[in-house]
Amino acid sequence: MSGYTTSGAQQPSTGAAADASTIDIHSRAVSYTCGDCDGDVQLKRGEPIRCRNCGHRVLYKKRTNRMVQFEAR
Amino acid sequence: MAPAPTTDRQWSTEFDTARRQKLFQNPPKDRTAYPTLAAAVDPHIHSFNQIFAKGGHLDEALKEIGTKVFLDGDPSAQPEDVGRRNRLSIKITDVFLDKSVLPPSNKVSVGNRNILPAECRERHVSYRGKLRARVLYRINNGDWLETVRELGQVPIMLKSNRCHLENMSPAQLYKAKEETEEFGGYFIVNGIEKIIRMLIVPRRNYPMAIQRPSYTNRGPGYTTLGVEIRSVRPDQTSQTNALHYLNDGNVNLRFSWRKAEYLVPVVMVLKALVETNDRDIFEGIVGTADSEGLAEKQFVTDRVELLLRTYKVYGLHSRAATRAYLGSKFRIVLQIPDDISDEEAGTEFLRKIILPHLGAYHITERNDADKFRMLLFMVRKLYSLAEGECSVENPDAVQNQEVLLGGQLYGMIIKEKMDEWLNSIRFPLQEWGRKNEWKLFTSQDFQKDFLGRILKRAQGEDVGRAMEYFLSTGNLVSPTGLDLQQTAGFCVVAEKLNFYRFISHFRMVHRGAYFAQMKTTTVRKLLPESWGFLCPVHTPDGAPCGLLNHFAHKCKIATKGVDVSAIPKVVAQIGVSSKASASLNASVVVQLDGRILGFCSPKQAKVIADTLRYYKVEGSHDIPLELEIGYIPNSNSGQYPGIFMSSQSSRMYRPVKYLPLDKLDYVGPFEQPYMSIACTDPEIVSGDSTHVEEDPTNILSIVANMTPFSDFNQSPRNMYQCQMGKQTMGTPATALRYRTDNKTYRLQTGQTPIVRPPLHNEYGLDNFPNGTNAVVAVISYTGYDMDDAMILNKSAHERGFGHGSIYKTKICDLAEGQRKSRSAKTVNRLFGFAPEGVVKANWRETLDDDGLPRVGTMLRSGDVLAAWHNVSYDQTLGDYVNLDGQTQFFKYKEDELAFVEEVRVIGSETAADPCQKISVKLRVPRSPVIGDKFSSRHGQKGVCSQKWPAIDMPFSESGIQPDVIINPHAFPSRMTIGMFVESLAGKAGALHGIAQDSTPFRFDENNTAVDFFGHQLMKAGYNYYGNEPMYSGITGEELAADIYIGVVYYQRLRHMVNDKYQVRTTGPVNSYTGQPIKGRKKGGGIRVGEMERDSLLAHGTAFLLQDRLMNCSDYTKATICRDCGSFLSTTPTVNEYQRKNSKAFQVRCRRCAKLADNSASKTEVWSDGQGIRYQGGDDVTTVAVPGVLKYLDVELASMGIRLKFDVEP
Repeated sequence: MSGYTTSGAQQPSTGAAADASTIDIHSRAVSYTCGDCDGDVQLKRGEPIRCRNCGHRVLYKKRTNRMVQFEAR
Repeated sequence: MAPAPTTDRQWSTEFDTARRQKLFQNPPKDRTAYPTLAAAVDPHIHSFNQIFAKGGHLDEALKEIGTKVFLDGDPSAQPEDVGRRNRLSIKITDVFLDKSVLPPSNKVSVGNRNILPAECRERHVSYRGKLRARVLYRINNGDWLETVRELGQVPIMLKSNRCHLENMSPAQLYKAKEETEEFGGYFIVNGIEKIIRMLIVPRRNYPMAIQRPSYTNRGPGYTTLGVEIRSVRPDQTSQTNALHYLNDGNVNLRFSWRKAEYLVPVVMVLKALVETNDRDIFEGIVGTADSEGLAEKQFVTDRVELLLRTYKVYGLHSRAATRAYLGSKFRIVLQIPDDISDEEAGTEFLRKIILPHLGAYHITERNDADKFRMLLFMVRKLYSLAEGECSVENPDAVQNQEVLLGGQLYGMIIKEKMDEWLNSIRFPLQEWGRKNEWKLFTSQDFQKDFLGRILKRAQGEDVGRAMEYFLSTGNLVSPTGLDLQQTAGFCVVAEKLNFYRFISHFRMVHRGAYFAQMKTTTVRKLLPESWGFLCPVHTPDGAPCGLLNHFAHKCKIATKGVDVSAIPKVVAQIGVSSKASASLNASVVVQLDGRILGFCSPKQAKVIADTLRYYKVEGSHDIPLELEIGYIPNSNSGQYPGIFMSSQSSRMYRPVKYLPLDKLDYVGPFEQPYMSIACTDPEIVSGDSTHVEEDPTNILSIVANMTPFSDFNQSPRNMYQCQMGKQTMGTPATALRYRTDNKTYRLQTGQTPIVRPPLHNEYGLDNFPNGTNAVVAVISYTGYDMDDAMILNKSAHERGFGHGSIYKTKICDLAEGQRKSRSAKTVNRLFGFAPEGVVKANWRETLDDDGLPRVGTMLRSGDVLAAWHNVSYDQTLGDYVNLDGQTQFFKYKEDELAFVEEVRVIGSETAADPCQKISVKLRVPRSPVIGDKFSSRHGQKGVCSQKWPAIDMPFSESGIQPDVIINPHAFPSRMTIGMFVESLAGKAGALHGIAQDSTPFRFDENNTAVDFFGHQLMKAGYNYYGNEPMYSGITGEELAADIYIGVVYYQRLRHMVNDKYQVRTTGPVNSYTGQPIKGRKKGGGIRVGEMERDSLLAHGTAFLLQDRLMNCSDYTKATICRDCGSFLSTTPTVNEYQRKNSKAFQVRCRRCAKLADNSASKTEVWSDGQGIRYQGGDDVTTVAVPGVLKYLDVELASMGIRLKFDVEP
């Protein structure tokens, strides 16, 4: 394991929290669904991928809440 | 105690709609409802289980590998200088394979640390567990010291005893994101499902008489005759021993060791095995001196005499001397340590190479005696063959074959890798010795360094990686070759295109890649010996025809040996003698698994065979039911007679009914040709038949059984259906959400067939529907239905007939293509838009805040699929920062429109890294279009040629209009009467609401299918023959003839025009020739070849030719000098005073030009790019030529050949 990935894993919250005010909309949290427990997972840019609840490593993106409209022909 | 399982496992032909619905909604918590389906893959799973079982292949293998010994000191030093060297002994005593769990570096997951197969599929990684070995080592005769080494992560077969899914109920499987009827038997490697193909290999432990022209290549004197035995050790690795017959009557033994062949006089091996004399050997081969028929054996006695005489030249007399001689010759080859005596080396040689099935480790005197007797028997058989007393045996017949199972091969490779690993310790040991002035093994330094410095450096410790490589490529990397004829093609992807294809992979057996290149077709022939073991119908046509077979659905493969300890006693009680007579008519051999039990008279042999069979079916005398009793009766120079019993694994066997006891018996392919097994009850011949088939359909494979009324069809049509059934767009899986196949096809409107055999339910195929019931009229109606075209009713199409989708998975991996440093995996890219960069609005159309595609959006070619940017880690901020503000993209490049179905964000095993990989599942809708391929289940494929409006379709008196129209011409030459019967049965079934049994061989001449279903039709008020008066949908008039109309189950095949059409006018060209490139993917063209050119010429269509071969190809305007006729000497002029790109430039011939002198007028002088002034060479013109012509000219010029063109007018 590399030195910094572990450190990144240990303290992602401190770094992100410090910058939360300064960093713009780009690091807005996006919510995903956990592949195991079906729980909601909020992730920001650069955060490790895992479910906070069960530690599962596959997350699904939720269906967009945008209007989806196609021409049906 | 658990409650008794209650899930009903009995199935019939019925639809059982409610029952299936309940099974589907509430998967049973006790056991599966489809045991036959699970049993179909048993050979794979059980063979894998045997590897790591107690006393399984690896336990045996470790005993066979034994202890490796290494010596210390400088290897190049003279023995006198060093004295006695110290011995380092090392051995592996146990091997453990753990289940798949998270690595210890993952400190986040606290609860369930198991990695389930579904997660591996979704994350595109391998499903594997840690392999550990307990290694013992000692110096000289000190105490054994123990250490446990990790040998990497080995892929695990699903549902095996190392898999989490083993013994899971359907309800649990469903929770684990698997199919409820998941049966395993395959591996998951990088998210792809792989299976190890079963392979046909020569039958084990049976000396086979062989004639091969290539045998003469061994050297002068060698004949084509030989006896070959594939001797299999308890760990399933094999060693082939062959005896060669030489012209003068001599016999040599051949074997391969580490891919090199060696030949040894057979008498030398005989004399090395036991303390013997020439008389013993003579009598062992010819027969006892007082036995009858010795006088007629002049042929054999002469040759044995010569055999013994020629051996005298070696002058080796005792067993010890012979062993020492053999040992001295083979100790290098066998890598035997230096401090072992030659005699011991010879013993080791005999243990490892000579008939190891009769003892591969801990050799006793009895083992050697067994080997001796077996070798004598082989010589005897060889002389018998040379004499013409017995015939050669056919290595292509199933009788002389068995199956190499996936698990066995896997175990063999693991064994070999461990063996290699132990051997490779030699190199770090020497390295260490060299660096430490050849310190002794007894020194403190060695104790200190051995584990950390030496053992760790041995190559090949990562067995797991080797196994993963084997599974993902199918290539066998092996120094020994494992006694196999091929080194590649062992593994295939278990494609889940539809369920037929998937299940077929597990019943598939390949003859071997070596035979695929053979020019003769004998290996491909369907032989009667295969009856009941290999399906005669289910083999592809084309290149692999007859080499790639499928097992009959009732054929089983033994995965472990049965207990035969009682047999020698029983045989001895019935009566055998230890000595053979000279004549085969007086005594024949009795063998068990390649071990000679004794000899008896032919009459007695029949008694023994019959008695044993009775005992084994009865279940008495401890004779196992699965034993194969190959009784070969005496014949007039037929197969060598005797009783050859086999009890070990890899055998095929199948159930039949034993008539004397009316009980289940298993028969194998070796015994079957000499048995009388009636097909059906009426065919039983009193006094002859001993067995009767349970069902005549037992000879067919699972897929072949699904062809309705296949006994009515011409046989190739059934073969075509077996192929097409496997390329149908069906329902590949019910857990489609959790699958990430590269490409899957799915039929949206699958139905259960009305006409099906009861096996359809038994194998649970309604869980994976494969087609749609269609009303089919056989009529020539529109003119669009000629030549295997079919008309689709437009309204049927609009109601969803044959509607399908393709699911494609695109993996966007940021780590891909980055150099992989082993220690530190660094993150230097992240998904999402660059934080400081601009984000364009059109990017956001398909992408969300996180730079990943929105689920549900429509993608067109060129749309962005995911955004990423470069980052570097900032220690002070503790965050990844982007410096360039650039956002990069993964793009959707295909032409077709697709929808984002799922987006999977994939984390690492340690759950500590940011997202580096996503997998996007796209859905491509594919409603049937003109040009798509459909087929019935009778090899009647057709292409949709028109979607005909419903109002114009013909209709019957009851107002029914067909969904599909096919042309009557599809039938006379193809003779698929089964399709007519299906149509009839389907119609009657639909009218009465019943499922029809379509099992073949159920009707006969007195009791015809037409009559049976005709009466059903009559009952429903329809025409007995299935014809109906119909009315034209266009004019409303009644058609002159009655039309055959009924219900047929139609499959939509995966070949669709959208994947195939290829058009171009202009496009990419080859940079050398200027001609269009080929390949649909690259937008290339289709070649107008020589024959097409000829036909266009013959039609006189010159302009068309001009267009194809010139204008749409490499049309070029070229400048040519009329004087010298050359393309290559023309050059554009460069005028000093004109602008560079001015159009008024001229071309001149440099060859015809002369250097300008001062007298030349200014208008005639021109200059080239170098500013050299010329005059003349102005007779240049432009012609249109193919671009390759110029290229040809250049190529020829480089050879010193000049082309001269005459230009006219």
